[in-house]
Amino acid sequence: MAHESHSSGHSGGHAHVIPQSKLIATMGALTGLMLLTIFAAQVPYWFPAFAWLKDQHLLMNLIAIGIAFWKAWLVVSIFMGVKFATKLTRLFAIGGFVWFTLMFITMIDYFTRPWEPVKGWEAGNSSALPRNVARPE
Amino acid sequence: MSATVIDGIQEAQQEPTQKNYLNADHTIASWLLTVDHKRIAIMYLIGVTFFFFLGSIAAAMIRVELTSPNGLFLTSETYNKTFTAHGVLMIFFFLIPAIPAVMGNFLLPLMIGARDLAFPKLNLLSWYLYMISGGFVLAAMILGGIDAGWTFYTPLSSIYSNTQITLALVGLFISGFSSIATGVNFIASIHKMRAPGMTWFRLPLYVWSHYATSIIIILGTPVVAITLLLVVFERVFAIGVFSPELGGDPVLFQHMFWFYSHPAVYIMVLPAMGIISEVISCFSRRRVFGYEFIAFSSIAIAGLGFLVWGHHMFISSQSVLQGVIFSLLSFLVAIPSAIKIFNWSLTMYKGSIHLRTPMLYALGFIGLFVIGGLTGLFLASVDTDVHLTGTYFIVAHFHYVMVGGTLLAFLAGIHFWWPKFFGVMYNEFWGKVSAVIVFLGFNFTFFPQFILGYLGMPRRYHMYYFAQEWQIYHVASTIGSGILGIGLILPACYLTASLIRGKKCSHNPWGAKGLEWEAAATPPVTENFTVMPIVREDPYDYDAIADSALYEEERKKGKKPALVGATDDEEKKD
Amino acid sequence: MGGHAPVTNDPDADEVYFQYEDIDQQQESYVVGMWAFLVTEVMFFGALFLMYAIYRWKWHTDFYLVHKQLDWQLGGLNTFVLLISSFCVAMAVHYAQLKKPKQQLICLGITLACAFGFLGIKTIEYSSKFEHNLFPNHSFVYADHKVTSYGMEKKDVTGRAAGVEHAKKVKKPQEGDPNRARLFLSLYFAMTGLHGLHVVIGILVIGTLMIMIARKSPLITDYVPTEMIGLYWHFVDLVWIFLYPLFYLIPK
Repeated sequence: MAHESHSSGHSGGHAHVIPQSKLIATMGALTGLMLLTIFAAQVPYWFPAFAWLKDQHLLMNLIAIGIAFWKAWLVVSIFMGVKFATKLTRLFAIGGFVWFTLMFITMIDYFTRPWEPVKGWEAGNSSALPRNVARPE
Repeated sequence: MSATVIDGIQEAQQEPTQKNYLNADHTIASWLLTVDHKRIAIMYLIGVTFFFFLGSIAAAMIRVELTSPNGLFLTSETYNKTFTAHGVLMIFFFLIPAIPAVMGNFLLPLMIGARDLAFPKLNLLSWYLYMISGGFVLAAMILGGIDAGWTFYTPLSSIYSNTQITLALVGLFISGFSSIATGVNFIASIHKMRAPGMTWFRLPLYVWSHYATSIIIILGTPVVAITLLLVVFERVFAIGVFSPELGGDPVLFQHMFWFYSHPAVYIMVLPAMGIISEVISCFSRRRVFGYEFIAFSSIAIAGLGFLVWGHHMFISSQSVLQGVIFSLLSFLVAIPSAIKIFNWSLTMYKGSIHLRTPMLYALGFIGLFVIGGLTGLFLASVDTDVHLTGTYFIVAHFHYVMVGGTLLAFLAGIHFWWPKFFGVMYNEFWGKVSAVIVFLGFNFTFFPQFILGYLGMPRRYHMYYFAQEWQIYHVASTIGSGILGIGLILPACYLTASLIRGKKCSHNPWGAKGLEWEAAATPPVTENFTVMPIVREDPYDYDAIADSALYEEERKKGKKPALVGATDDEEKKD
Repeated sequence: MGGHAPVTNDPDADEVYFQYEDIDQQQESYVVGMWAFLVTEVMFFGALFLMYAIYRWKWHTDFYLVHKQLDWQLGGLNTFVLLISSFCVAMAVHYAQLKKPKQQLICLGITLACAFGFLGIKTIEYSSKFEHNLFPNHSFVYADHKVTSYGMEKKDVTGRAAGVEHAKKVKKPQEGDPNRARLFLSLYFAMTGLHGLHVVIGILVIGTLMIMIARKSPLITDYVPTEMIGLYWHFVDLVWIFLYPLFYLIPK
């Protein structure tokens, strides 16, 4: 009985077999990226060619997180086979990661807390009053 | 929906006395170890009813206590524990699982034309996790209670409260996994288990709403699970991630809590909307107006629902800018909700309406949900919210949405599919009476609370001796809750009575469309369909004109008007 | 029910569970179900990453100073160990698809060994933290300050007997605000601890799978169980790929 509703796509009997060479290449790339990220965190600043990186804090953070995403992409696409999977699987894989970034809307709150449109209502330096409450031991 | 089914239909009607899922096996073990989605649904029904009963007792205690401005019989500490018990039991153990786990479990495979859900054992596991988590929470209540409110805001819940919060939170963590198991199961089933010909746009709207619900469950529940787990860590090891003294932020707990708990409101109400779509269409004898719009509005609510959590936090230390953004986004949710209300109204327009019990409940749902939804707009607006939040206005608002919405839809669904569940018909007269009593009692209970809230009565307050003029509203509300209670005890009585000596109903007493009515026996057999159904028609293929004509004709003859397509009870030998 | 009921109307089909029509439907359902579960896992850790991001943004200087307490060499070794295990699982799926159970078992065995290795290294790391009173419970001491979740006590603990003993044990200089140190280490233990829990679950699952394959269990008819477990294990690796730079390699 052919199911119309699931006739397309990933099919058990003849799934995409990822060639061994590709897996090994991915493994190599992941190891390389791992070494790169360690190096980026432990840059020998005394070495003249890297001296300028010393104050590039934002750049170094972006490099670290960029490499992490690159590695994640390699694992998701090759090891987890999303690159060769059905559209539905891709939707789930990508949807999950996209949705989790939505949580980062919360960051807007933290970035804009000091901002106060009404003059004279600005909070002081601390956002909460000091709590002088008797505390249970 | 549809589905004139080629092979299934005759087979299903041939042998009304054949073995069904209820009498297939009688041992206790056959129930406790079953993987049959229908039996699991019945076990969920028992569990959900039990927790609803406990939650109602807590509610009654709160109402009685508040008739006096100085409190009647509870200490303030016990009062805190009572409203927490009411909130926790009702939200986590009734509202969230009620419709998906009871009716969704039972009907989803029947509606999509599958023998079972995709993962039957996972389904059983979900029920056990639900009961275990319920056990944890009950243990917490027995061993001393929980007093932090169902929201468990830090730092009260993490540092200051000395009650059994740890135990309760572990319970809620487990109940999260019960939810996730159901969500994963539904998603896989809806994607992959549909019968031949059952395309996405032939699915009943009930299935669409469950799809949207499952998406919310799998995206939201893990977030609250980890948040509550961190509070547990906080209490056990005192790690301090939400502690302001360490540089943490208690408001972050609120952010993460509401990231799930606002969408959880849609977990409660979307399946309810699915039920209403089915009931309204069946008893108006008309195809649902704007099928695609209702289907996509479910998905839109699921998506938008994740972007509005900050409206619970307008008076926390959330930034002004984010408050404004969340306010705007919250207004947007009104659009898909309104689409549904308009489409249901238009479904009834020029329909041949039969005011049977499920329809009465469904009409009650629409009225109450509109009030609940519109008062929600007051609360979505930052400036009115500052005045109203934390008062009884909020309490009234979410009871209109949750009780007026979910509970009424649950009752509508129970009355609609009760013949399908058990093959018996309840007493229609008492059904109608109870529907009216519930509607009146509900308004009597919660409408005074809008006024109370507007006057400034804060929620969760034990006493209001500072404003004794509020007593009249509280007394009115308490009397209303008594009426509501009677309205809820009635169905419990006549539904139970129908199980014991109810008259056996025919195969399709409502003349309803859909695979669960047309292709499956009543009550269904264990494997749901003796022959796999093939779907060849669009859903909700009702004929209002023919129904209307029949109605007029039978009225002239002085007979009781029946629904077209309903199999006649008298013809059956029982 | 629940057992293997051959579908009568399709004699060629592999055995499938009773609720499915054919083996394709069964496998596709597994894939959808597994990915839906992985989405929940993404959100589960996602919430923790959000929390981390907010606190790191707020206290970046202190986090930089405190992260020096962690051992980036051991962390790097663990990253590599998990990478190998992830690769081996991918190879195991590869061999399962080619129906070579022997190679498959070898690959899964290496994975299992790597998982134990990971936990071993983790134990070394954790125990040194415990030794230095850096586990955020009631005995947490950082830079000679006793810190609880109510904040640090102003008193210097160095003078006390415990403090003296403590000062001797500490190898690395402890810089940064002790309060933030407790916050950072709380996040560290919460996130790596939950990740470790996932590794333990992974060990149980992979172990069970190996036993079933070795015993030629009728439940394992094709490569799909291996693939599902592989997906889970890759996810565990994925989380660590982010945890490592976020905790061990914070740039100044």
